[in-house]
Amino acid sequence: MYGAKKSWDNFYQFQRKGETMKSRALLASILALVTIAAAWAGAEAETTDQVVMRMSDNQPDRTVTWGAVIEEINAEFVAQHPTVVFETESYPDQPYQEKIRIYATAGQLPDVMKYWSFSTLMHPLIESGLIAPLDMAALEGLDWLPGALESNMYQGQLYGIPVSGDLWVVYYNQAILDEVGIEPPRSFDELYAAVPLLDAAGYVPMVTNGRDGWPLSITYDTIFWRLTGDYSLMRDALAGEKPFTDPEFVEAAEIFQEFFHSSGVFASDLAVTDYGAARNLFGAGRAAMYLMGSWELGLAADTNFSDQFRQNVRATIFPQVSNGSGTTDQLVAWFGGNYIVSSATPNMELAMDYIQTYAQLYPDLVWARQAAFPAQTVEPSQDDTQVARDLLAIAADASQTSGTPALDSLTPAFKAAHERLSRDLAAGIITPREFAQGLQEAIEEVYR
Amino acid sequence: MHMLANRRTAVLLVLPGVAVITFAIVAPIILSVSYSLTQWSGFGDRTFIGLQNYRRVIFDDPTFWRALFNALLLLLVTVFIQNPIAFFVAGVLIELREKTSRVLRTIYFVPSILTVVVAVKLWTNVLNPHYGLFNKLLEAIGLARLADISWLSDPAIALGAVIFITAWHGFGWALLFYYSGLTTVPNELREAAQIDGANRFQIVTRIVVPYILPVIQAVIIIDITASLKQMEVVFLSTAGGPGDRTEFIAHYLYREAFVASRFGYGNAISILFVAIAITLTVLAQRYLSSVRETR
Repeated sequence: MYGAKKSWDNFYQFQRKGETMKSRALLASILALVTIAAAWAGAEAETTDQVVMRMSDNQPDRTVTWGAVIEEINAEFVAQHPTVVFETESYPDQPYQEKIRIYATAGQLPDVMKYWSFSTLMHPLIESGLIAPLDMAALEGLDWLPGALESNMYQGQLYGIPVSGDLWVVYYNQAILDEVGIEPPRSFDELYAAVPLLDAAGYVPMVTNGRDGWPLSITYDTIFWRLTGDYSLMRDALAGEKPFTDPEFVEAAEIFQEFFHSSGVFASDLAVTDYGAARNLFGAGRAAMYLMGSWELGLAADTNFSDQFRQNVRATIFPQVSNGSGTTDQLVAWFGGNYIVSSATPNMELAMDYIQTYAQLYPDLVWARQAAFPAQTVEPSQDDTQVARDLLAIAADASQTSGTPALDSLTPAFKAAHERLSRDLAAGIITPREFAQGLQEAIEEVYR
Repeated sequence: MHMLANRRTAVLLVLPGVAVITFAIVAPIILSVSYSLTQWSGFGDRTFIGLQNYRRVIFDDPTFWRALFNALLLLLVTVFIQNPIAFFVAGVLIELREKTSRVLRTIYFVPSILTVVVAVKLWTNVLNPHYGLFNKLLEAIGLARLADISWLSDPAIALGAVIFITAWHGFGWALLFYYSGLTTVPNELREAAQIDGANRFQIVTRIVVPYILPVIQAVIIIDITASLKQMEVVFLSTAGGPGDRTEFIAHYLYREAFVASRFGYGNAISILFVAIAITLTVLAQRYLSSVRETR
């Protein structure tokens, strides 16, 4: 019996112990929950003051050139608005444009983004009400180059601030040309004569981004102008008032095909050479020339390349074609890059402030770093790199400029067709006549 | 009452699965069909144009047919070249000592564990005509004439190079499937066949292949879907070029929808693509099942 009582006592004791343990566990859990809730509330309190601004651009490298300039502007903006936190997405050009289209489709555009003023890219966003109009009056006095702001206007409203004046030029490596004993080619005859010399010395004569198509399309515009001397013929064709099958377009296509496909100026892997590969081949001193826009001014300041390269990089005009009626001071040039604001941003006032700050700080910062050719006036200085001086001289010498390249003048579908046809022509898959016919069909589709 | 409770429980258990299938598969397909009947850039106004997109894809778009042809060619290469090689290598590996076999299996499987970006970048560098290892190798062994070829940008060769990279990347999986299948074939069957006087070829064709037909069937079905939805290798290597020589359907519909901003047209291609993929898979499944039943 005693034993039985003892065991019952033990049982009660055990049960009480169990209850105490349960109570302790419960208490510990409550304390833990309270602590987590307090920490969460604290974090909430800390973050409620912060404003997250979603940004995007096409400059993945934030340590040099344009990417570094954006970081400087952001730092200045945060100094003025301490509660702002930036969330930035950056991709190279083509993936970036595709990403923005996907965001637009999903209605999730970033608050402020780098974009392009072309009708193929910006007009669909404007027409869908996805980007906000800017205050023209607040931005007008900021030393824009003539026509720069106008290139970002649509139906009387300003929708973007232009951030680059774009010229289609040829960069060259002076050291390689000196080694081979040639001058920067001013004509196709000089260029073709240089090809065997550069080949023999083990250099690729010229590189460009042949994978994406748009550099080829812009070069077609340039060749057409060099050949005819009259860019209004191209504008007439784009307006549907002149057929692309006319002889001058076919002849320009023949010169284009010889230049890209059979002259030996470009390597046989042009079709798969992307932007980065072309830039790296030139920067690494394996290619003598690089066909690209003036936004590559930063080559001379890019510390990813050797000092020797940076001191020897220069820019010159696109050469004259044989028997062409045009002149080399007729410049394919436009205001392409811009910054725009999403109409759905929850931070509209801040986004507009950012645009204002960007427009004020950008030209001097970007020129100080020699990172890009801005759409605002800048003061040349003795510290300017040689390539910057070359580009300023090319712009100053221009007698005429083209405005938006043909491929970006109409619809995204026309652009895609233009790029595809240019790639096919450069690869020798279609004939110049088929190219012209293809452009004609694409333009008819636009106006159907 | 009890029946009702059971039914309610069953409905509750099934509901999450049905919801997932509805929102992840059925709803997107219905939306895709509705978009495919419109002219739409992906945002902004949509214009209903009926079956015009389908008519254009089927009757007036040579790139679509080329992309389909390329996908079918990849499928044929995978089924009739990659698979037999994988089967043969698996057969050799199973005959080797375990230690050697394990080392070789690991080596063969390495390409498959590389992400597709790494694998494609590796090959685009190896095949680069300026500094690529492959052309340098050809030059070193006296094939200088071939050392000038641009494997990924020559219109006559590029498709072969893309198919090679794709098949190389997927080889490890095929090998793994066949090796696993071969390990299940009982030795007694082979020994019995040998006693009956069967030679090695007869053992493979009459014993081993029929025994692992379910494995072959699974590999072929995977090959069909993988070939039709091939996108990454093309996107990272040639972007469908030169011209449309290396275009594949999945990449083409992406390009139409998100590069050319023809979202409606891209959706029409995607619907046809799904229809073709389902048809091919069902036909292959039925054919292979009938082969299995007759064995």
